[in-house]
Amino acid sequence: MPLSASNLPTRRDEAWKWTDVSRAAAGDLRGAEAAAPVQIFVPQGVTVTRVDATPAANDTSLQKLALQYAGQIWAIEVPDGFTAEQPIQIEGLTQGHAQITLTLGTGAKVQLVEHYDGDANAFVNSHLNVKLSADAVLDRVTVQTDPEDCVRIATTHVTAWANAELVQHTLAFGGKLSRLETRFAGMGKAVKATMNGAYLLDAARHCDMTSYVDLACPDGLIRQSVKGVTADKSRGVFQGKFHVRRPAQHTDAEMRHDAMMLSDTSEIRSKPELEIYADDVACAHGNTIGALDESALFYMRQRGIPLAQARAMLTEAFLGSVFDTLDDEVMRESLLDKLRGWLKDD
Amino acid sequence: MLKIENLHVAVDDGLKPILTGLSLEVPKGEVHAIMGPNGAGKSTLSYCLTGRDGYEVTDGTVTLDGEDLLEMEPEERAAAGVFLSFQYPLEIPGVPTMTFLKTALNAQRKARGEEEMKAPEFLKKSRALAAELKMKPEMLKRPLNVGFSGGEKKRMEIFQMMMLEPNFVVMDETDSGLDVDALRIVADGVNKLRSPDRGMLIITHYQRLLDYIVPDRVHVLANGGIAASGDADFAKTLEKEGYDKYAA
Ligand SMILES: Nc1ncnc2c1ncn2[C@@H]1O[C@H](COP(=O)(O)OP(=O)(O)O)[C@@H](O)[C@H]1O
Ligand SMILES: [Mg+2]
Repeated sequence: MPLSASNLPTRRDEAWKWTDVSRAAAGDLRGAEAAAPVQIFVPQGVTVTRVDATPAANDTSLQKLALQYAGQIWAIEVPDGFTAEQPIQIEGLTQGHAQITLTLGTGAKVQLVEHYDGDANAFVNSHLNVKLSADAVLDRVTVQTDPEDCVRIATTHVTAWANAELVQHTLAFGGKLSRLETRFAGMGKAVKATMNGAYLLDAARHCDMTSYVDLACPDGLIRQSVKGVTADKSRGVFQGKFHVRRPAQHTDAEMRHDAMMLSDTSEIRSKPELEIYADDVACAHGNTIGALDESALFYMRQRGIPLAQARAMLTEAFLGSVFDTLDDEVMRESLLDKLRGWLKDD
Repeated sequence: MLKIENLHVAVDDGLKPILTGLSLEVPKGEVHAIMGPNGAGKSTLSYCLTGRDGYEVTDGTVTLDGEDLLEMEPEERAAAGVFLSFQYPLEIPGVPTMTFLKTALNAQRKARGEEEMKAPEFLKKSRALAAELKMKPEMLKRPLNVGFSGGEKKRMEIFQMMMLEPNFVVMDETDSGLDVDALRIVADGVNKLRSPDRGMLIITHYQRLLDYIVPDRVHVLANGGIAASGDADFAKTLEKEGYDKYAA
């Protein structure tokens, strides 16, 4: 059955009201009814196997599609206490459906690097299920550089047990439609998560960064900062929700979304939400949408910096801060280079 | 030489005339002071000279060494050597001071067809200058002007001026917010830049700066133009008598 409103989310689903995937996926997209090519590179000691997928009662429509077309699950296992210099790398995912699981054993510490660079006129639907055992740390870097006519939905579920930590940095350039969704469940005490991202959109590109953080135990520490810029007729979407359950006392959680419109024909939609049932917590969210500071631009030009360069410098300074929390300096510099490249071409 | 003739400038989408026929000549090598009541249009003049949006020139001409300034973009004027020390310097979050200044200096050099200043030379020059202006070295690493006190920002303007070595300087109330020590440091910097091929226009509200930077000429800006002019002593008279007699 080809993709349609009958097997994809529609705008009537609250979580998809700004990201009309059934419309974007209409027509003949490559990979719509096929398994995605996947390449996984792992450091020595980490294993990759294929296991059968089984349906669950609460599968979303996208999970059902993956079940139907993705074939066996790619299962990555990181043993207890494992550490390595080299990252786990996931490549491929250029079209089609995929299911991947990543399990970090107790105290394991590893970097995961994903590069999403899809095919022209393709549909990609990938599901990554991450389990962080107690004390595990995952440093995840995702770069999305799809072509303008690619539709991508990348959904990640992270389950974190006691003292586990997720450090996530995402750099996205959008596509015909892209949705990068992270769902984080804190199932043990004192979990930590940094979930930062930047989106840079031009032409008619669309990028949706959605996240849901569900905390069920005390002492969680969550920091989220997503920043974006939109040029031309592009559209940026941020949806973030922190759900702090009654036992999750002493949760310390901050969510920020800050965006700048570089054109008045572009669009930014954002919905930050807090749902809090514990009474002794520090939770905050902030959301700003603005434009480049004209007075700052004039000041820079008065010093001799040409307008385009002044704009690029201010934009880089604005966006770049989301990567300050990335410890890997080489990686940080490479993300900033990609960001600068976009600013230069623009 | 800076030559302003019959300059008319309006703000508020051209609806509110501020300067209505201002003429002034500042020959190379001279320092001229502009004084005048609040709201007379002193800052307006400085923005008009540097090409800020919103300051519409409805009539008149401005040339620097014969070149038409009004035709140029702000960055072209900067490359031509025009420097404005802002009354309210802007904060540039996320851009370290050194990065900012090196980018500015080399953009100007490139626009003039000169060679870039290399990092070691730039570092050496900026360190020496920071010491001379009694600035803390950490200031140069911080994002430009972010979290600086009013006085630190003014000192940073002078630092930038001395690094960029412009050939025409406009200073807009650089003295306000400075204590006497800082004022002396700033004045020393300015005096060092005085040279036969550099002109300066110093806008000030108070006469005290002119004790340290002795001007060649003093002008009163009132009623949309230069209402009176005199020598350095004229500033003292103005301070004593106020601007009432120049009011409309
Ligand atoms: N960008 C602007 N928009 C509207 N009015 C302005 C603007 N800049 C200056 N003005 C007005 O122009 C007049 C002169 O201001 P200004 O040049 O700042 O005076 P001064 O520097 O002599 O105190 C004031 O009435 C001020 O309110
Ligand atoms: Mg003023």
